[in-house]
Amino acid sequence: MTEQMELEVRNLHFYYSGTTQALKNINLPIHKNNVTALIGPSGCGKTTLLRCFNRMHDLYPGNRYEGEILHEGSNILSDDIDLISLRSKIGMVFQKPTPFPMTIFENIAYGLKLKGIKKRAELAERVENALKHAALWNEAKDKLHASAYDLSGGQQQRLVIARALAVEPDVLLFDEPTSALDPISTGKIEELIMHLKNDVTIIIVTHNMQQAARISDKTGFMMLGELVEFDVTNRMFTAPSEKLTEDYITGRFG
Amino acid sequence: MKLQKRRKIKSFLALSLSTAAALFGLFWLIFILYDVITHGIGALNLSLFLNDPAPPGVEGGGLRNAFVGQLLITFFATLIGVPVGVLGGTFLAEYARGTKIARLISILSDIMVSVPSIVIGTFIYAILVKPTGQFSGWAGAVALAVIIIPVVLRTTENMLSLVPWTLREAAFALGAPYYKVIMQVVYRGAATGIFTGILLSMARVAGETAPLLFTSFNNAFFSTNMNQPVASLTVTIFQYAMGPYEVWHQQAWAASFVIMLFILVITITGRLIIKWRYKK
Repeated sequence: MTEQMELEVRNLHFYYSGTTQALKNINLPIHKNNVTALIGPSGCGKTTLLRCFNRMHDLYPGNRYEGEILHEGSNILSDDIDLISLRSKIGMVFQKPTPFPMTIFENIAYGLKLKGIKKRAELAERVENALKHAALWNEAKDKLHASAYDLSGGQQQRLVIARALAVEPDVLLFDEPTSALDPISTGKIEELIMHLKNDVTIIIVTHNMQQAARISDKTGFMMLGELVEFDVTNRMFTAPSEKLTEDYITGRFG
Repeated sequence: MKLQKRRKIKSFLALSLSTAAALFGLFWLIFILYDVITHGIGALNLSLFLNDPAPPGVEGGGLRNAFVGQLLITFFATLIGVPVGVLGGTFLAEYARGTKIARLISILSDIMVSVPSIVIGTFIYAILVKPTGQFSGWAGAVALAVIIIPVVLRTTENMLSLVPWTLREAAFALGAPYYKVIMQVVYRGAATGIFTGILLSMARVAGETAPLLFTSFNNAFFSTNMNQPVASLTVTIFQYAMGPYEVWHQQAWAASFVIMLFILVITITGRLIIKWRYKK
């Protein structure tokens, strides 16, 4: 079967301001409704690559992209792309939970208000849907107007996922979303991610190879700023074509 | 054995000296508080707040003009100083973060904080009083605002820097423009800190005398006209305490007590907010 392409990275080079090249000639297809995992040792550039997809690097002066990332036919790295609308289409969840200093309800309504939704009834409905979608509704429905900081770490992370989902993005980027969580919360988030891929395309950076093996459809292995291998996850973990990938997966380094 | 004994003696000496120093400081503080409270409460009466000053030497009269004037000047000083300070601090912590100009402004504000307030008074005299040929409430408010600005600016800058960057990134990642990130996320995270800074800066200027001497001067009559000289508690205390009449001395004590209480309340409120915030 042919899969639809959500994003296509073509000859991407990335330079942090003042330092050497962080990404070298990356070519990578991201398929729709897939979970694509990026793995590799620390400093290999997987988070750097992830942050190219929503142009997070633009927040810091001096960073420079070369090459293309195609999304719906246009290059999202071009200068005339509107970052605000790009980021509302490509959401992001960070390593540590990042609830805003407001109530649970307001956290999710924040993104909706940015999109211009103001009617109370519609807000309430979409907040509820987002919370249900992120499997947090049962735990949060009785304290929607309590501070988001009252939630546990795992709940906060699901709140942040709900917040990102509420604006109905095409793609969700996950930057090591479970590395600050306990095993039970991690399990819940993993389940959630596998469930979410029916609606959004997911790219996840992870340190944890078992996690990549468990939840992803495709895996990219990166090292020293290069994409060493990209393949269907099953094949990657059972019969990698590159020696380097095999050595990393079997724990010989990293 | 010998070594241990020597250490114990040293430790005892250090402890005694620091305790003595603390007690010495505390002694004067309590002395002042006690003096102001005993003299002040004795001189307090309702007519102090309801009546304007009587002619010199005449019994009775109050300081209504000074209470109202003090509130007016402090209010307008806050109104001018706080927005400038908060916006300036926002510029430093957000838009100009890490740049040379931000560092320079930070250092200059730190210097401004420690400039003797009488220098600010004379400065405002030169630019607002001399050219208009008129002492005025506005000049006093501006002088106090100049004291408020660097304090609020630096507090705002510090409080905003304490808000983690990941929080801003999370807001950007939802597609928020920078001004909305600041207004709706960063300010909320730093709100209590900034508010406390504002309160403490108000407490500081409420006790200032020197900057008002050359600016709002004083007014023996009730006036809310900010274009005219306006009475203030601090300058009145200064004048009355130096004056020859016993009634004036009594009223100066009462005014000292009230202003001390006012500042105490603001400061304690500020501290309570911090404490309440950290509990949460």
